Amino acid sequence: MVLTRDVLARLCRARDLLCEEHAPSVREVARHVEISLFHFIRQFEAAFGVTPRQFRIGSRIQWAKRLLAVGRLSVTDVCMEVGFSSLGSFSDTFARRVGTRPSEYRRRARAMIQDSGMVPHPLEPGCLSLMALLPESGDAISEKRE
Amino acid sequence: MRIKLTSIMVDDQNRALKFYTEVLGFQKKRDIPVGEYKWLTVVSPEGPGDLELVLEPNANPAGKAFQKAMFEQAIPLAAFETSDLKAEFARLKALGVTFTQGPTKRGPVTIAVLSDTCGNLLQLYQPG
Repeated sequence: MVLTRDVLARLCRARDLLCEEHAPSVREVARHVEISLFHFIRQFEAAFGVTPRQFRIGSRIQWAKRLLAVGRLSVTDVCMEVGFSSLGSFSDTFARRVGTRPSEYRRRARAMIQDSGMVPHPLEPGCLSLMALLPESGDAISEKRE
Repeated sequence: MRIKLTSIMVDDQNRALKFYTEVLGFQKKRDIPVGEYKWLTVVSPEGPGDLELVLEPNANPAGKAFQKAMFEQAIPLAAFETSDLKAEFARLKALGVTFTQGPTKRGPVTIAVLSDTCGNLLQLYQPG
């Protein structure tokens, strides 16, 4: 598939809409960017690797991670805040995508030293900073040079 | 001092590994768990084997903003050289890769631009 510049711009606009706090439905987003629903889902997945629905869920989970790490909301409140209607569904989705349940994620995040209101660095690693968290032994970074 | 690592931020490291190895054809070099993420690198089978591309988790808000802005402007974040762009384009298209630009002559190179499905555009180029 070759996407034109115009379609790419529409898909980027759709991606922004899907990230909004009260994101419209996928159908509404498709209408907004003036692409038929069938083509919208297909082209969105082709460009971004996930369907619009999966993207919206991922975006909500990212938002939940921040709230759990630095906010004062309970897990239930975070669940509601990011748009899930069932705590069970939120916990399952979170665990599947993040690898740990929301309550455990919050406990670990808050156990880390935090600057005022900032997400602990290991939870949001920046450029190549993961390197500093690798084990000291072994050849994690480089083989010995001859 | 030598150039040993370069990196590209990816939305999802598992999806990225699949794309960069199974689709682009690179080889996994390191895959080491680091908390929620991984130290994940690939190398080109065409070498050099010790020049690694790190598939970095795009977890930092500043990185996300940068990646998003570049994608919106259709600007590639990495470029890979090939000796036969036309054949590479056909191979990748057959694998379902999405391009934003087919092979196009631009000055001293012919280029094509594709989505890595992890938030980036990549440029393939053939000199000459």
